[in-house]
Amino acid sequence: MFIMKLNDQFQMVKKNMKKNKLRVFMTVLATTMGCAFLIVLASIGFGLQGSIMEQMTEYQSITEIRVHGKDIDGEFHPLTKEDVESINTIEDVTGVVTQDYVPGVVVTNLNEFEGYSQMLLRNLDSAETTNFSLSEGRYPEKTNEIIVGYDFKETLYEPIGDNELEEGETGNNFSGDLLNETILVQIKDYESESILYEKEFVIVGIGKESARDWLNDGSIYANIDLKEEIFTVMDEPKERLEIYDNVSVHVMDIQQNERVTKELKEMNFAVYSITEEIDRLNIFFAAFKAGLIFVGAVAVIIASIGIFNTMTMAVTERTHEIGVMKALGANPLNIRQMFLMESAFIGVIGSFFGVLISYIVSFAANIIIPLILESVTESTEIDIVFSAIPIELVLIAVAISVGVAMLSGFRPAAKATSINVLTALRREA
Amino acid sequence: MIKVKQLDYSYHIGKKGNQTSIPVIKKVSFEVKKGEIVAIVGRSGSGKSTLLNLLSGYISPDSGTIEIFEQNTDGYTEKEWAKFRLDHFGFIFQSYELIPSLTAFENIELPLILKGMKRGERQQSVEAMLKRIGLDQHGFHYPNELSGGQQQRVSIGRALITNPTIILADEPTGSLDSETEQGILDLLQELNEKEGITFLMITHDMEVAKVADRTLALHDGEMEERGVYYETK
Ligand SMILES: Nc1ncnc2c1ncn2[C@@H]1O[C@H](COP(=O)(O)OP(=O)(O)OP(=O)(O)O)[C@@H](O)[C@H]1O
Ligand SMILES: [Mg+2]
Repeated sequence: MFIMKLNDQFQMVKKNMKKNKLRVFMTVLATTMGCAFLIVLASIGFGLQGSIMEQMTEYQSITEIRVHGKDIDGEFHPLTKEDVESINTIEDVTGVVTQDYVPGVVVTNLNEFEGYSQMLLRNLDSAETTNFSLSEGRYPEKTNEIIVGYDFKETLYEPIGDNELEEGETGNNFSGDLLNETILVQIKDYESESILYEKEFVIVGIGKESARDWLNDGSIYANIDLKEEIFTVMDEPKERLEIYDNVSVHVMDIQQNERVTKELKEMNFAVYSITEEIDRLNIFFAAFKAGLIFVGAVAVIIASIGIFNTMTMAVTERTHEIGVMKALGANPLNIRQMFLMESAFIGVIGSFFGVLISYIVSFAANIIIPLILESVTESTEIDIVFSAIPIELVLIAVAISVGVAMLSGFRPAAKATSINVLTALRREA
Repeated sequence: MIKVKQLDYSYHIGKKGNQTSIPVIKKVSFEVKKGEIVAIVGRSGSGKSTLLNLLSGYISPDSGTIEIFEQNTDGYTEKEWAKFRLDHFGFIFQSYELIPSLTAFENIELPLILKGMKRGERQQSVEAMLKRIGLDQHGFHYPNELSGGQQQRVSIGRALITNPTIILADEPTGSLDSETEQGILDLLQELNEKEGITFLMITHDMEVAKVADRTLALHDGEMEERGVYYETK
């Protein structure tokens, strides 16, 4: 047996730290401030990244990949049925949605209400696996069943006799329940306004309200099986039946999105995916955050000068004590350990309070900064998170603080270990 | 138990490049047997403390050998010496060398802590030791709350707590009055008789030398020939 119990080392260190409370307190305070500065500074990077990410994903879902076409020998081609089938076989693809816009003017009639809308032909059978969710009702099963967008109701008006409406003036809106109502859809030619196609549909489902209040969906969604029928009467070119206006691929999460996007690109599809945008943004923010952490770390390093000073003084003060312990036969390793422990403690306690304080500062900043900006810029509401402290930032900051603290304890610890017994005991020569 | 052969040691003083070496221990040889009380006497500056420091491993000889328990200590590292001291030696210093921030109890406990003994086991042996040195009422006193004799008793307790095979003492009674000195000497003699502990102690004092089985005399770093094995009893 030649190694002190860890608990005994701990007790000794605690005792020594208590002996010089004020000095230890000041050193801990410096470390706390350094650590808090590091975290608060870097939290701006994390906060802004989160805010910008959120705004970006508001425009497009992270589970959706838009495919515009295919690049064959440098030429751009719209997507065909075969393309969609091959996309469907890619692993992790939960659904492929194809959409076609019905050309012409789409007029909807519900009882006496009338409105103009946009009609989309879409493979509604795979809607469950896409992010097209319903607020009410179900997905269509027959070709005479349709889904309408959440805001469709607002496109329906009660005509006011024969009088032309003044600009900005509208008749009464439809206010009843749309579900299970039958609407008559008429498709008119753009120029002649003659009715080319007419069909009655039952509304079986209503889309979910958009999370973005500026985005209204007043469209009607009908089954793609009607495409041939409608396009034929509309006199569309034959080849339009073989291709799709719009194809979006759906996956479960962002990792799958990344992988599927990559695979689609390898298959020469022209793809728009938010993951690429996110990638670029992430690279930028990684550099930005690293820069902030670096600057913050300088504060920690400055604090470590204090730790170095405190530890050096502690060693000098305890020279006699260390000398006695060495004279009796203390393991030099234990002596080194105890000093490293002490500087590590200062780091640990300092970063504990540093983390605490930075959470408070960050919380306050997120409330106060928007208020200031709102009053200065006179804008209504600024909904941006400026400062965010994720757990990884806490871990990084604590690792830096404790690491730097231990590093600055290294030399003093080595000094303590190499203390000369005879000099320390001041024995008469 | 201890065999010293042809030991040489010089101190070096002065700045680098302009050093002079002062030979302090010159060709010293002697032996200490188990269970003996051996006194080292000599004038101030004759090299007594230096000799003890060599035996403790605080400094290393320039030449010659120190054998302890038939083990040549030549080339021992600092760590090996430390372990050796902790396992086999007890130290009593002239100026006690107690740690002022620790109580009498804690000072005696210290070597056991350094050894890594469990708290529960330490408790009992320290209490028994306090009783043995007659300080069972003073366990919670700090060194500055104890008399010189009491402090020296604490340091003896600290030296004995690890059950050492040999105790090295540099003027254990040097700063005590003669009455207190007698008490300490009685204690040491009792330990030697009852437990067979070997003592090697430096002293100025003929009274102290009297309790020794043998006395070694140092003169200017040399074992005086007639002084070696000079019987006092
Ligand atoms: N650290 C040192 N540096 C230089 N010379 C030293 C040192 N320590 C001791 N000396 C010299 O070594 C010689 C022996 O010293 P030492 O302490 O061994 O004597 P001592 O016999 O113990 O004396 P005392 O009885 O006064 O304690 C002295 O002449 C002293 O000047
Ligand atoms: Mg001396």
